[in-house]
Amino acid sequence: MELSVRNISFGYKEAEYLLFHRLNFHITSPGFYSLFGFSGCGKSTLARIIAGLLSPQEGIVQKDHIHTILLCYNTERLPGWLSIGRHLESVKAKRVSMQDLEFIVDQLGLHPLLGKKFFRLSMGQKNRANLARYLVQDFDMLICDEVLANVDEPSRNHILAIVKEKFCKDKIVFYISHNVDEVCFFSKKVFVISGGTSETKRLVEIPGIDGIKRQRDPGMDELVQNTIFKVLMAASSSQGRER
Amino acid sequence: MRLFQFSIIFLFFLSMIEGVKYATGLSDYLIPPLSEITAMILGRWRDFLVPSLNTLGVAIGGHCLAIILAVVVAFWARGGSILSNMIKTAAYNLQAYPVVAIAPLVFIFLGDGLVSRLLIATLICYFPLLLNFLGIFSSSVEEVEHFFMQTGRLDSMMEITIRVFENLDKMITVIAGSATLAMVGTIVAEFLAATMGIGYVIRKALYQNNLAAILACLLYIGFCSSLYLMAVEGMGRFIKRQLLT
Repeated sequence: MELSVRNISFGYKEAEYLLFHRLNFHITSPGFYSLFGFSGCGKSTLARIIAGLLSPQEGIVQKDHIHTILLCYNTERLPGWLSIGRHLESVKAKRVSMQDLEFIVDQLGLHPLLGKKFFRLSMGQKNRANLARYLVQDFDMLICDEVLANVDEPSRNHILAIVKEKFCKDKIVFYISHNVDEVCFFSKKVFVISGGTSETKRLVEIPGIDGIKRQRDPGMDELVQNTIFKVLMAASSSQGRER
Repeated sequence: MRLFQFSIIFLFFLSMIEGVKYATGLSDYLIPPLSEITAMILGRWRDFLVPSLNTLGVAIGGHCLAIILAVVVAFWARGGSILSNMIKTAAYNLQAYPVVAIAPLVFIFLGDGLVSRLLIATLICYFPLLLNFLGIFSSSVEEVEHFFMQTGRLDSMMEITIRVFENLDKMITVIAGSATLAMVGTIVAEFLAATMGIGYVIRKALYQNNLAAILACLLYIGFCSSLYLMAVEGMGRFIKRQLLT
């Protein structure tokens, strides 16, 4: 299972300049990976290019043994005419068992919400319901673009741990977030889009902790802090120079 | 509520006419006294109610036909194919032409019966419906459709269901608004050449210069239109409630 993004250049038609110029990165095995960068640096655009929803002006996205890439994002809405439970049952992939669906519903704390309509939920509940329906699909790579942005921290940590344990053995989960702490702790690798213009913008690869359960361990805390420092430095490197 | 609003407006209109009459000293021949109008409305109610219901029936028929036609055409025209674009262009150009102007042609070719009235009522409310349905069916609801598109579940029916559901309020408003247009179309058709309906009664009253009868017709038309609008809006609210609860 391999994903190679080679020399990707992209700019929106209405924009004067390119958003990226010849970005590269590689994922060579299943696992939990993250993409980090400050607002407006092009994380969501890069996610859409990888998912095949946008075509780059230059460069290619090569996939080996990755047949289905799904992209989910936090402002998605479930159809309002069905309850959460009925929607999840109706969209569950055939290869996903009812037990798996039950497990996801249980772990994402959706049991009390199954009879409710989407528009009746809080923002965090909406995020969880949205992620749940993607987790019961048949995919090789799941790109989560700020998908848990409105979920409280303990629940987010629990959900990410479940996602890692259940899916990251044979699938790629590509997580986009502004939360540098969770990005560093859970990821095998953190890909950081630096600031600056398209010419100076780079994609820096920083090894993550690849952790699952958060524990009060001073050694681990230091390791996480170091990674956070590296990620933040990488994200602000070109920006700092420009300012 | 609509009936109450209409009654208030009608009474206000009637008192204005009577006020102008007494202020300027106009004769009873030109503007009949209130007693004569009341006698006409209450005494000859059958002469106005039956034609009004007849008109309402044709208007409902025309309205339903227009809705079905607009849904079918908008469904086929919503995509980006050559055929879709041709249908869209034709619809936009045709709606600019005043349909009432071709009503005489309809009567010449189809006679002064039910079919002509039905056709004119349909045509008059069809184009506004079509343009709105086209807008609704063609504009994607990215936040809802994205998942279905990603997972290969976004077929035509799902796409339309999502777009209709997301624009339900707009659709109900448009359908209720076009109900009045259907009523207008039917009355115009009857006024022009038909031999039935409240429009025909107005035409006869006009030739006899009978203002009391015309005012009675207006009252019954108002009641029928209000009832129909109330029914359409009530149906819309019911559907919405069923879908949202």
